[in-house]
Amino acid sequence: MNVVPPALARLIADLNRLPGIGRKTATRLALHIMRRPASEAQSLARDLAELHGAIRLCANCFAFSETDPCAICRDSERDSRLVCVVEEPADLMAIEKTGAFKGKYHILHGVLSPMDGIGPEELKVEALVERVRRQRVVEVLVATSSTVPGEATAAYLIKRLQEEGGVTVTRLACGIPMGMDIKYADELTLSRAIESRKDTRG
Amino acid sequence: MHGLFHQPLPPGQNLAVVLQVRDHGESDKIVTLYTRGLGKLASIAKGAKRSKKRFVNKLEPFSLLNVQLATSRSSSLMRLDEAELLAPYPALRQEYPQYLAATLLCELVLHWTREHDSDAELFDLLTWALSGLASGGEGRRTIAFFHIKLLEILGYRPSFDGCLDCGMLSAQKAPYRFSPLRNGLVCNSCEPAFSANSLPISMQTVQLLRKAQDLAQDKLERLRFSKGALLETLALLRRYDSHLLQRELQSWNFLC
Ligand SMILES: [Zn+2]
Ligand SMILES: [Zn+2]
Repeated sequence: MNVVPPALARLIADLNRLPGIGRKTATRLALHIMRRPASEAQSLARDLAELHGAIRLCANCFAFSETDPCAICRDSERDSRLVCVVEEPADLMAIEKTGAFKGKYHILHGVLSPMDGIGPEELKVEALVERVRRQRVVEVLVATSSTVPGEATAAYLIKRLQEEGGVTVTRLACGIPMGMDIKYADELTLSRAIESRKDTRG
Repeated sequence: MHGLFHQPLPPGQNLAVVLQVRDHGESDKIVTLYTRGLGKLASIAKGAKRSKKRFVNKLEPFSLLNVQLATSRSSSLMRLDEAELLAPYPALRQEYPQYLAATLLCELVLHWTREHDSDAELFDLLTWALSGLASGGEGRRTIAFFHIKLLEILGYRPSFDGCLDCGMLSAQKAPYRFSPLRNGLVCNSCEPAFSANSLPISMQTVQLLRKAQDLAQDKLERLRFSKGALLETLALLRRYDSHLLQRELQSWNFLC
């Protein structure tokens, strides 16, 4: 006998399809929504229903935005000659939280992953090259992850932009994480940290 | 030009090459390994996604590891408890062509092997090819040599000794074609009609492939392939893959 009412079972199945949500977590979330006032569930439903209608991609940087161009691309206080390239929207949000970056962004929407059929044409690479050419970008900061696919993507972008010329290409520094004893860093990380050492006269 | 080289590996270790890494849930990773002792296997690395110190920067594609694995009662996945990074092969991430070639090597091992079917010879071939690529070995050449030896180790060695019907190998019978279906060559007089699945192959390439099959792994570097012969060889190997595996390996799309 099935003890879960069909409506609840459908919600659990929906939540279960989300990344990182297993069957147990989905059930816990569904029961939580069930216990809260109906108005909260309606508000959640409304937000979900309106999402695809309201959000589009910014044609300049490819961020998710309600406007095109997005708020960051429109912001005249930000330096449009400095462009930071990230893998995905969540990376932009992480960098924005620091408040340390005053330029603009370019979102690739993925990394080069040959086994998954993702090559340069599947990412927003040519759009970046085009943008650098047209908008007189002075510096491109490549901020892909320091994973193997992230680094390979960075290597590809750096080469592609250098072929194009007329722009300085920089890479996010990679080294010892804050709070880590250098004795415990792996050789690759440590040698990278030495390569990207910084002049203390700053 | 840098050569391919073989790094001798210490015996009796739980050596493993990372073939593929996938996120699993909020904090774990599923890591597919090709191990020297147990062959291909999928393992779960608990907490690896939340940058647990013991796994940071180790569970990356192509890395050569010394691993501690445990079987689990509840799942067919093995549990990856410990990983020591023996060789991260940095060049395989710093050069896009090396990354592409290394990815295809891993994709080939993923699809040409069965789980828990160990083959130390194939493992050594894989680390030989990866370290060769990491020290600057040309991608397409490395793939061709690796693939030819892989087919031999797994018992799928194609025959390039002569036409499968008349047994002859001579310029008078050219052009020859490679038939993945029959695992060998057919000459123009025995099969003049062009069959959909077969692939034209020049005499020069046939001779190079025969030499590559006969040479030991560490002597392969002596072979000189012209660009045309190399592309023909890769096209042939690709066709052979799709025929025998009944699927297209994605990495091929970016290589030829
Ligand atoms: Zn924008
Ligand atoms: Zn014949």
